[in-house]
Amino acid sequence: MEDANTFDPDLVHAIFKLVWNRRALERERNEGADGLDIQEKIVLRPNGLVGARSLVDNCVKLVGAGASKKNRPTYANANALKLSCELLRIFVTEAVQRAATIAEAEGVSKIEATHLERILPQLLLDF
Amino acid sequence: MEADGAGSDVEREDESVIELLRDRFRLLTISIAEAQAKRNDLEISLPIAACIADLAFKYTEQLAKDLELFAQHASRKSINMEDVILSAHRNEHLATSLRSFCTDLKSKEAQSERKRKKPSRKEDKATTSVVHIPDN
Repeated sequence: MEDANTFDPDLVHAIFKLVWNRRALERERNEGADGLDIQEKIVLRPNGLVGARSLVDNCVKLVGAGASKKNRPTYANANALKLSCELLRIFVTEAVQRAATIAEAEGVSKIEATHLERILPQLLLDF
Repeated sequence: MEADGAGSDVEREDESVIELLRDRFRLLTISIAEAQAKRNDLEISLPIAACIADLAFKYTEQLAKDLELFAQHASRKSINMEDVILSAHRNEHLATSLRSFCTDLKSKEAQSERKRKKPSRKEDKATTSVVHIPDN
């Protein structure tokens, strides 16, 4: 029963990847802003050969940085994903279980918003 | 300007993908929540189950960030089980139960590996505890 009812590791992996991609994009965008700063500095003193060379160097550096960022995405091994699924399953069952305890104490047969509200602060502190 | 245009395009695509994932995640969470409620002979109202699903989704996003940072801090690119256990370190009970789940997974893997070939027994060494017998 418990084995059948758990999260799909592939789904969790997809969500993780989405978050990581978003963060990588943000990082890249920040670096892009830095790169623009460097270029502006170079344009301010267009001083013959030296300027040109440092421009090339900086371009190489920029391209290198971008490529290496793309080359190293974070990835997770299969067991780590299964363990994350278990962690999420515990989160959900714990939320329901605590709310159920409150509902039972009140003597109602349906878990409602007030029950969740009661247990939410401690739940969020515990995870 | 070009970069911005590309960024918003990616973001729009991102949004549709994230909606799809969120829906699949919600369905799974609701079925888990309903099963858990049924075990207590209770019902759970659908909006509450959906609310728990959204909480769990937010938690997943946070978890993804944490795991990435942990792995980076260990100068790794891959996330392993230790990172996941570390993310639950504030709650001792949670960490303990995750650790036992982790050893279960490891032993299962070791069994299936033993069928194929004699595996390296690194994990066994780590888990066997030394029993100290006082000599008096």
